[in-house]
Amino acid sequence: MSRRAFVARGAAAGLVLALDPIRVLRGGEAEAAGLGEGLPATLAPTPFLRIAPDGSVTIVVGRSEEGQGVRTALPMLVAEELDVDLGCVALLQAQPGDDFPNLSTGGSDSVRSAWVALRDTGAAAREMLITAAASRWRVPRTECRAEDGAVVHAPSGRKAPYGSLASAAARLPVPTNPPWRSREEWRLIGTRVARVDGPAIVTGRAVYGIDARPEGALVAAVARSPVPGGTLEKVDSARAREVPGVRSVVTIPGGVAVVAETTWAAFEGRDALSVTWDESAAAGLDSAAIWKLLEGAISRSQPTRWEGDVEGALASAPRRHAAEYRYPFQAHAPLEPTSCVADARGWRCVLYAPTQAPNRVQAEVARALDLPLEAVTVNVTLIGGGFGRRLAADDAVEAARISRAVDAPVQVVFSREDDFAHDFLHPASIDRLEAGLDVHGLPVALTHAMAELHLSMFGPLDLKSPGTWEGNPRGGWDTPYRLPNLRVDYAPVASPVRTGAWRAVSYPSGVFARECFLDELAHLAGQDPLRYRLALLDGPNVRLGSRVLDRSRLRRVVALAAEKAGWGTPLGPGRGRGIACNLYDLGTAVAEVVEVEVGRDGTVRVPRVVCAVDCGQVVNLWGVEGQVESGVVWGLTHALGSEMTFRKGRVVERSFADFPVLTIDAMPRVEVHAVSTERRPSGLGEPPVPPVAPALANALFAATGVRVRTLPIGRQARPPAAAPAAGSPPRS
Amino acid sequence: MLLSLRVNGRHRRVEVRPETPLLWVLRDVLGLRGTKLGCGAGQCGACTVQIAGVAHRSCVTAVSEVGEREVTTIEGLGGDGLHPCQRAWLDEDVAQCGYCQPGMLMEAAALLRDRPHPTDAEIDRALGGHLCRCGTYQRIRRAVHRAAGGGGGAP
Ligand code: FES
Ligand code: FES
Repeated sequence: MSRRAFVARGAAAGLVLALDPIRVLRGGEAEAAGLGEGLPATLAPTPFLRIAPDGSVTIVVGRSEEGQGVRTALPMLVAEELDVDLGCVALLQAQPGDDFPNLSTGGSDSVRSAWVALRDTGAAAREMLITAAASRWRVPRTECRAEDGAVVHAPSGRKAPYGSLASAAARLPVPTNPPWRSREEWRLIGTRVARVDGPAIVTGRAVYGIDARPEGALVAAVARSPVPGGTLEKVDSARAREVPGVRSVVTIPGGVAVVAETTWAAFEGRDALSVTWDESAAAGLDSAAIWKLLEGAISRSQPTRWEGDVEGALASAPRRHAAEYRYPFQAHAPLEPTSCVADARGWRCVLYAPTQAPNRVQAEVARALDLPLEAVTVNVTLIGGGFGRRLAADDAVEAARISRAVDAPVQVVFSREDDFAHDFLHPASIDRLEAGLDVHGLPVALTHAMAELHLSMFGPLDLKSPGTWEGNPRGGWDTPYRLPNLRVDYAPVASPVRTGAWRAVSYPSGVFARECFLDELAHLAGQDPLRYRLALLDGPNVRLGSRVLDRSRLRRVVALAAEKAGWGTPLGPGRGRGIACNLYDLGTAVAEVVEVEVGRDGTVRVPRVVCAVDCGQVVNLWGVEGQVESGVVWGLTHALGSEMTFRKGRVVERSFADFPVLTIDAMPRVEVHAVSTERRPSGLGEPPVPPVAPALANALFAATGVRVRTLPIGRQARPPAAAPAAGSPPRS
Repeated sequence: MLLSLRVNGRHRRVEVRPETPLLWVLRDVLGLRGTKLGCGAGQCGACTVQIAGVAHRSCVTAVSEVGEREVTTIEGLGGDGLHPCQRAWLDEDVAQCGYCQPGMLMEAAALLRDRPHPTDAEIDRALGGHLCRCGTYQRIRRAVHRAAGGGGGAP
């Protein structure tokens, strides 16, 4: 029986609007949706906005909070339209189900997609409340307005709080195209608003996935194959079972789980297991073999964009230049280790999951346990950093299987080593670029080929459907530069190791190659890299498929970043500036200037990063600045020191000692200049990441004259050292 | 083994093996889950608590080492209100995902006890072993200065 078929029990739900399409959920429907009196803490099956008779406002957030601030930015949109304090808007986290068939948080999309829907719904509610007040007072509607949580009738001085109007408003038709509040009336959008979860976070009350263990749940640590595709040969669990607190040891597909009363006992029990794996599937798998695979593939790459006579133009160009760039495997390593709670007792499963992909969790758990979808409930918790790792459901499936095996609620917890060893890594890739320059040093033709491991997180590579690779390589296919003859090639490669979406997905590598190469061309042409970029960004907008590449927005942020950074002013010996820019998915425009300081011993310090961004309308300025600061740290961490490698099929880097993350003592001064425009917001979780590495590499060249084409810089055999002779660097 | 602990001003008795890391006693036995697991190896600072006012990594501190000394966790940092660091953290909107912040706050509060007006270098030294994958370091630095009474910075 559908929830909607329940009969109303008569509780007054107030005004409840479902989103998309906006409609009133009436009596029984709202009640059945769990929206009657006394809202449950998490049950929120319908996308809705509710104004209760007591005046409280509640919305369902269909996005997971992983630090990007959605739980602040989304209610801001509603509060703005309703003209209520942000603190008055309560949030419920959406659960997958009929009404939320596709919950997913990624692609810097959260604010972008809510911009219209949430404001429309807030505006519709406001207009209905005004109509309800006007008819109650029998006054013309035009004399009433919404203000600070109430409708007021200025001529008579009457005032009715929203709560007192909610039930009457619910009987009215929903207006089509309700007007949005004008920019002049905005009180929240575009300002700095502190995140709503702040008080819970600083007092330790915030509940992350790892904290969401219900009373009485057991904890499981899983021994998994150390190599991809390994199969279990033999387990001896006698010693593990002797560890105090260990309840049982069970075998599940892909691993052996030690189930215990506490996390510590589970880890100790797991360490006491003796497990033998058949590792033959991973014979010969190491980093060198993977690079070979990519080298072989790049020569077989296929064009995804081809304009003009590239071969002819290259052949006749007075000067040619080619270079190859490599981007290594990277881990997500969110500070919260991977974890998930499942209670699979009975013919159902209830999960508490720090997930970016609740519907995927639901579907994979249902499949693993052979349950119908409706029997799987996913409660989404706060996430202690996601960055794409939480788009997978491996932890949830393990938890569900173990819970069923032991017939008790179970939390699977990864140790930090597990988290590194069983990540879905950002894939390694190779980019090859070649250009022909005219007599003025400007490119007449350019080729950009990339070979990249496929993201196994989203299923196996399907080479049979051509055309699916349009858009790749990211950063190459959508190059913003004016290039009369252009060919872009792509070779996706089936990955022998687990790979997945990472912050900015494929952009970091493609943009690293493109922006470094452009710097090289500028140098060959004897031109300033800033002016060279501006010259190549000077031109009309470009149609790419059904979308438009807007060069002017990128030009503007490039010029702004350079100006704020003092581009061209001298820096002194051993120091240099580099610039890089990108249009992320044709939306957010970012330009960054990195300043670097290189010691005689090759130590690299980054004292300052200046960023200019155009992400359309800024919703929460603090959120925007925070995402840029965060993206810069992410970019520097992965450009400077971290990478993941393989030896004998095993991940080599298994702790933060092997995978250095930028710390506060290396934190540069990050200056953020947000160009707020009236364009629809275009997202900012990922866009600041890609330009960091190339801007840094270009700065290193300016400081030392050495080109870095393989990341991370700190792991190269000969890291660039400051030139011994003092003098002004070759470029700004 | 039955041990008695003083945590956030309360006496607690726990039945655990003496080598159990304090982190797991706090989280799994006492239900104080504000103290986080980040690495379990002393490499990230997420699990930092104060023992007699000094910052310690609870993941590598055996519960038996604590003895009579008072343990303060993030839940007890502010007493009945907010510690100046917590207030400064809110004023500077430091947190992103927030997972590292309890450890950061416990360390920063311990620093301010010793050095009421720390320099940037002193902040870097104290917090240099704390990882934040969200990269909130710039705001953390500002917030520590603010908590020290030096005001935050722009914005
Ligand atoms: S969890 Fe203790 S230092 Fe990382
Ligand atoms: S705020 Fe996310 S790890 Fe620090």
